[in-house]
Amino acid sequence: MLDALDPLIHVPARLQIMATLAALPDGDALSFTRLQDMIGLTPGNLITHLRKLEDAGYLSTEKTGNGPASRTSVALTHQGRAALDAYTRTLRGLLNGL
Amino acid sequence: MNETRDIDDTQTGDEGGLDPREAASLLEQTRRQAERRFDIRSPWLSLLGAAVVLAAFGAVWLSVRGQHPYTGPTAAGLAFMYLVLVAWIAVVVTVTRRATAGVSGRSIRQQRAYGAAVLTALVAVSVLQAVLKNDGVSHAIVYGIYPPTAQLIVLGSIGAAIAASREDWLGFSAGIAVVLIAAASAFAGPAGVWLSNGVGLCAVVLGYSAAQAWLRHRDARRT
Repeated sequence: MLDALDPLIHVPARLQIMATLAALPDGDALSFTRLQDMIGLTPGNLITHLRKLEDAGYLSTEKTGNGPASRTSVALTHQGRAALDAYTRTLRGLLNGL
Repeated sequence: MNETRDIDDTQTGDEGGLDPREAASLLEQTRRQAERRFDIRSPWLSLLGAAVVLAAFGAVWLSVRGQHPYTGPTAAGLAFMYLVLVAWIAVVVTVTRRATAGVSGRSIRQQRAYGAAVLTALVAVSVLQAVLKNDGVSHAIVYGIYPPTAQLIVLGSIGAAIAASREDWLGFSAGIAVVLIAAASAFAGPAGVWLSNGVGLCAVVLGYSAAQAWLRHRDARRT
């Protein structure tokens, strides 16, 4: 039954990342530090999850500046937004079937 | 990602174990929390806004009521109004900065452009006021009917246009209501226009806040 759910999203931390980024208007990005503050993961864990989502094409990261002033921003891609919508629909279907 | 301090794959939660109910609950909870933290609108901010509008316009009305002939708001009345408005703007800027901290992209660029448009329009309204005064138009118009009416028509129109571009029909209705109240208040005369606009704008802010709270409550019950 759970096989129908996207395994990349169906993990608590990645579900939180996707849901948080999806709350932003399309075309907006969130800084790594604010995302970390909102989700409460350690930087290492957050980076690991972000890499997995980025490798799947669900989000994009952009680094600006150099040295201590550098900043990394994370944004949901159209593919990522569509994947979260599909995940939500599948989840609703599963819950209605229970 | 220069912020990296450690990467520990064993702690990333890939072990799963999330059943559909838990997943739905976590998804909804995270979505609501994120929306609340990104949103600058809040009931207490609306209540404060309504009180500020009433106090600012009310102070000017108290300073002009009973003037014969009409000479315009007193320095004390204007000082109080600007003091209250500046304090209000400072609160809004602080709340906005907190909500949008770390956010970049299209909506931030749009917000800056909207801010520039509002500032330009308000400066233009003041320039026109100076022109009216220079051309010998009466104090009842230059310091009475014109300032609150023109400013609220500009702010309401821009607010309605921004809301329409976002398909925010509640915000659009509020913007149009402000324009209508401002236009209708002009009939209240150079003194009454301040009171009429203050009470009307206060009612719009409270009504907008109540409708928004009701819509949120309805959406929360649906999900």
